[in-house]
Amino acid sequence: MARVEYDDVTKQFLGQQDRAAVDHLTLDVADGELLVLLGPSGCGKTTALRMLAGLEYPDSGDIRIDRRSVVGLEPKDRDVALVFQSYALYPHMSAKDNIGYPLKIKRMTEAERDRRVTRVAEMLGLGTLLDRRPARLSGGEQQRVALARAIVREPRVFLMDEPLSNLDAKLRTHTRTELKALQRQLATTTIFVTHDQAEAMTLADRIAVLDRGRLLQLGTPDELYNRPVSLFVAQFIGSPPMNILAAQVRDGTLVAEGVWRLPLGRRVDATEVSLGIRPEAIALSEPSADAQAAEVLVSEPLGSETIVNVKLGNALVKVRAAPHVRPDAGATVHLRADPARMTLFDAKTGAALP
Amino acid sequence: MTTRAQTAGRQAAARRREGTWIEAVLAHLVFAAVIVFFLAPFVWLLTAAFDADAQAYIRWPSQLTLDNFVRVFTEHDFGRALANSALVAGLTMLLDVVAVSLAGYSLSRMDLRFKSAITYGVLLLQTMPLSATMVPIYGLARAVGLRNSYLGLILIHAAIELPFLIWLMKGFFDSVPRYLEEAAWLDGRSKLRALVEVVLPVARNGIGVVAGLSFLAAWAEVLMVIILVDRQDMFTVPLAFYQVLRTRGGYTEVQYGMVAAMGVLYLVPVMVIFFATRRMMVRGLLSSARGL
Repeated sequence: MARVEYDDVTKQFLGQQDRAAVDHLTLDVADGELLVLLGPSGCGKTTALRMLAGLEYPDSGDIRIDRRSVVGLEPKDRDVALVFQSYALYPHMSAKDNIGYPLKIKRMTEAERDRRVTRVAEMLGLGTLLDRRPARLSGGEQQRVALARAIVREPRVFLMDEPLSNLDAKLRTHTRTELKALQRQLATTTIFVTHDQAEAMTLADRIAVLDRGRLLQLGTPDELYNRPVSLFVAQFIGSPPMNILAAQVRDGTLVAEGVWRLPLGRRVDATEVSLGIRPEAIALSEPSADAQAAEVLVSEPLGSETIVNVKLGNALVKVRAAPHVRPDAGATVHLRADPARMTLFDAKTGAALP
Repeated sequence: MTTRAQTAGRQAAARRREGTWIEAVLAHLVFAAVIVFFLAPFVWLLTAAFDADAQAYIRWPSQLTLDNFVRVFTEHDFGRALANSALVAGLTMLLDVVAVSLAGYSLSRMDLRFKSAITYGVLLLQTMPLSATMVPIYGLARAVGLRNSYLGLILIHAAIELPFLIWLMKGFFDSVPRYLEEAAWLDGRSKLRALVEVVLPVARNGIGVVAGLSFLAAWAEVLMVIILVDRQDMFTVPLAFYQVLRTRGGYTEVQYGMVAAMGVLYLVPVMVIFFATRRMMVRGLLSSARGL
């Protein structure tokens, strides 16, 4: 049980003088929370995690667990467990010895060790595999052994560095669900690093989006999805991603891609803006005065829904439609947008406009 | 359909691959010559050692005997020399393994200032001809009382091989992923114990190679033994050889049978070590080559 705080943490690697790997990161993770650090590769998320584990040291700022600074503590003295992307199982030990290794270090008796290892192994369905070496386990099994090794210690904090990225798609989705249930059950503070927005959305209590070492937005999955603070966050989250259209503000209305006139229910000071609108915030409607005609490029039926790609000016707009709606390429459809679900961004800075 | 040109082309290619029969015969002759050249000394050792009247050339023993083996132990105390060699080589190996593990790990993992200079400096030491250091080593050993001493021999033998072995071991450590020891640190181990319990077992092929090379080098070393040892009970095997060569006062009458018997006994441990560890050696050297 632990609260984790990053307080104005900066870390710069040697030979990377132009920018910091982690740039003035301030973050407060509540006890029992599952926080996801999300961002593209090189955004600093893994470095942030490794600093908490004690594998890297911050240049400035403080990192605290339960209000006590851990900067300067050896990894062994921090009581945090890390699940590595590559699992980092000890190749010369059986699955059982791998899981029991942290307990052996704590000088736990062999009987107690066996009891705990068996319990965690059962929890993760590893019962029959305990005598095998890692080389004789599948990727999914190795991943569960790595998870078991972290869980068996009952650490203050779980750290997970893209633990699902080496699994195939089906197993990844399955493990994701299990992992979330497990974290709820254990109620241990967890920091999870990923570049996969779907993984972040499904797992997280809150998501911290990082880019170039900076924290761009911290919020619940819903907040990030519906109220992104910048173009970067808007485009990073959601699949298919948010449609971004070049737009001008003229006399209280919005003109997207030079053709689509949209009502603007508020005052906006800028004239050149980027309009962000999610695929499900656009509806295909009957022809009418306030619906915009557009040409269909292609329809992508996905079973549960259809993504209709239409051409609007020079832009490609994705519209989420019901599964039976499948307009042919070249057909004309009419678009209607939900004004309440439009986000405007400054065309130059990319920041969301109030 | 296959055209005639294609068939001809294929035949030509096959000829290029296999060569003509003359080339094959020549190649085999060359190989045979090389093998004879390298095997001849061993054949001589084996035949002469069991020959009651051994000569300086290869021949089938005039009379098969074990007499030569008995005499090296009774007349020359060869057992003592073997024990001395085994002791010195064994402890040299232990010292090298410990020192090389620590130094190689540091060079592989730590962010040291001047790391590149240190790393290449180590290699530079290896290029220094040993004979150039003979006189200072003699003087130094005499000054600190390390002549005619096991400790002196062990220290100098361990030091001679150290630079090369450090480089070799650094390569092995480079091929062990860092996250393994990081996992051990997070599991609660200190850096030193993580090295001993996780990194070294994973790099065990490398340790095997280092141990083997260190033992064999110390086992075979002559020059330093000559300058550091003159007491007969401290003689290692190479000095015992020398003793047999000059047995008869003013005349150098070589007793080939005993020399050969000593040679066989000298080779046996080397062969045993090689065959016991050859898989480990090959695997280790291959992984080192990949790691470098």
